[in-house]
Amino acid sequence: MHYDAVIVGSGPAGSMTARFAAEAGAKVLILERRAEVGVPVLCGEGVSQKVDSFKVLEGKRWIATKMKGARIFSPNGTTVTLAAEYAGDETGYVVYRDIFDQELARGALKKGAEIMLNTRAVDLLKKNGKIKGVTAQHFDETLEIEADVVVGADGVESRVGRWAGIKTTLKPYDLETCVQYTMTNIDWDSPYCDFFLGKHVAPGGYIWVFPKGRDVANVGIGVLASLSEAGKAKQYLDKFIAAQPALKKGESLRIITGADPVAEPIQSVTDNLILVGDAARQVDPITGGGLMHSIEAGRYAGETIGNAVEKQRFDTQTLSEYETRWKNAFGKKLHRNYVVKEIMLDMEDKTLDMLADSLKDYKFEEFSTLSIIKALVTKHPSLLVKLTPLMKLARA
Amino acid sequence: MAKHKAFVKKEKCLACGGCISVCPQDAILMISSKAIVDNELCNSCSICVKTCPIGAIIWEGT
Ligand SMILES: Cc1cc2nc3c(=O)[nH]c(=O)nc-3n(C[C@H](O)[C@H](O)[C@H](O)COP(=O)(O)OP(=O)(O)OC[C@H]3O[C@@H](n4cnc5c(N)ncnc54)[C@H](O)[C@@H]3O)c2cc1C
Ligand code: SF4
Ligand code: SF4
Repeated sequence: MHYDAVIVGSGPAGSMTARFAAEAGAKVLILERRAEVGVPVLCGEGVSQKVDSFKVLEGKRWIATKMKGARIFSPNGTTVTLAAEYAGDETGYVVYRDIFDQELARGALKKGAEIMLNTRAVDLLKKNGKIKGVTAQHFDETLEIEADVVVGADGVESRVGRWAGIKTTLKPYDLETCVQYTMTNIDWDSPYCDFFLGKHVAPGGYIWVFPKGRDVANVGIGVLASLSEAGKAKQYLDKFIAAQPALKKGESLRIITGADPVAEPIQSVTDNLILVGDAARQVDPITGGGLMHSIEAGRYAGETIGNAVEKQRFDTQTLSEYETRWKNAFGKKLHRNYVVKEIMLDMEDKTLDMLADSLKDYKFEEFSTLSIIKALVTKHPSLLVKLTPLMKLARA
Repeated sequence: MAKHKAFVKKEKCLACGGCISVCPQDAILMISSKAIVDNELCNSCSICVKTCPIGAIIWEGT
């Protein structure tokens, strides 16, 4: 079996890569260890409406609800409301992630990509030190699949990167460890995605409530692994739910655990290999949102593979087109937000309350970091010191 | 006495992969939707134990 590209993982990153590579004429195969694309869902299922501009999802079956915006609750309950266009990549639609992923995969298959389910990549295939494909376990069979490019779209665990010698191991400081219930029998009819902050709510992370239509919502938590202990994330979430009159009588249709990398991105290209999506740590370090970046980067990866196949060159230099494009698109933002994540981690609950108090009446029309800082500091001058690093960033 | 090794309680694990992504020894694998620790590689650092959001990882023999 020989392919131009073999793609490990059928999440949004893998399917987008496959779609655009196939569209450019490449012969591609997706390997997925699961028996069904997108199942189980390991996600809060919030995504920006910017996803429409990619024109990769047909129909509306994947949409659960369309959101007006986001509300952020500081530790003392002060609320900042953001319209959807300012609320980041996680607010716009709440989706059915299983259908969402299957629609993206279907798009790739329609363009000519192939897929093998129940197929786990177990190692890289190498000859004289050069990457030549992957070995995979398919039911009882061990397969050798040759390819000019191997794409690691294998999510947070990212074994493919490790096999290629790229350091993918996350520091606990760079991982949100998550639990989420999909709840029903709740009294939560809101057009907003809600985020709850505070050391006693979710250390180093937040709790979210993303409505999926009347009477159903994803209620989840991310806790920074370095601030967590065994089973803590679930305990914090259960405590939160028990204290919310609108949620505490609810029942769960689904429980999931999750792992969300909130790290600086890593090297995403080497000879004959590309990493995309969570595998490349392309997740917003503040919100933990990764869908939009996976989709965008997947497109660049697929187009780059198309060009590489045309030139029949698969070295780092040729594949770097991909890294350059995604870094130009959102690399700076990821770096900036990583710095902001570190600043926020140092903040006391009191500071978060002051921030929220300064912003609660702020009209997010002129949305620049500097204008927000001005609004903050006018109301609470003592915030100035805490925000100095942010101002440096805003000027940079 | 030899140190205890991390052990995943299969019936609890929900396959998020968090433990795998932080293990400095690369000692954990996901097989058939369950995380499994390789005893030979585990150095008992406890990172995975603390990371598991539902407490599915314990010390072997405890
Ligand atoms: C609890 C939680 C909530 C989140 N909420 C949001 C949100 O609301 N909005 C948002 O934008 N982002 C959210 N994220 C992040 C988002 O889920 C990820 O960024 C996104 O799924 C990344 O897509 P991906 O294609 O890179 O990886 P994944 O979607 O993780 O896909 C990886 C695929 O690779 C397969 N795979 C792995 N290893 C192998 C192997 N060896 N062989 C074969 N197949 C393999 C896996 O089975 C999987 O199907 C959340 C994350 C978590 C954990
Ligand atoms: S962190 Fe816990 S739930 Fe997640 S894969 Fe590891 S043992 Fe399973
Ligand atoms: S205890 Fe440390 S070395 Fe052992 S499996 Fe867990 S994270 Fe890996």
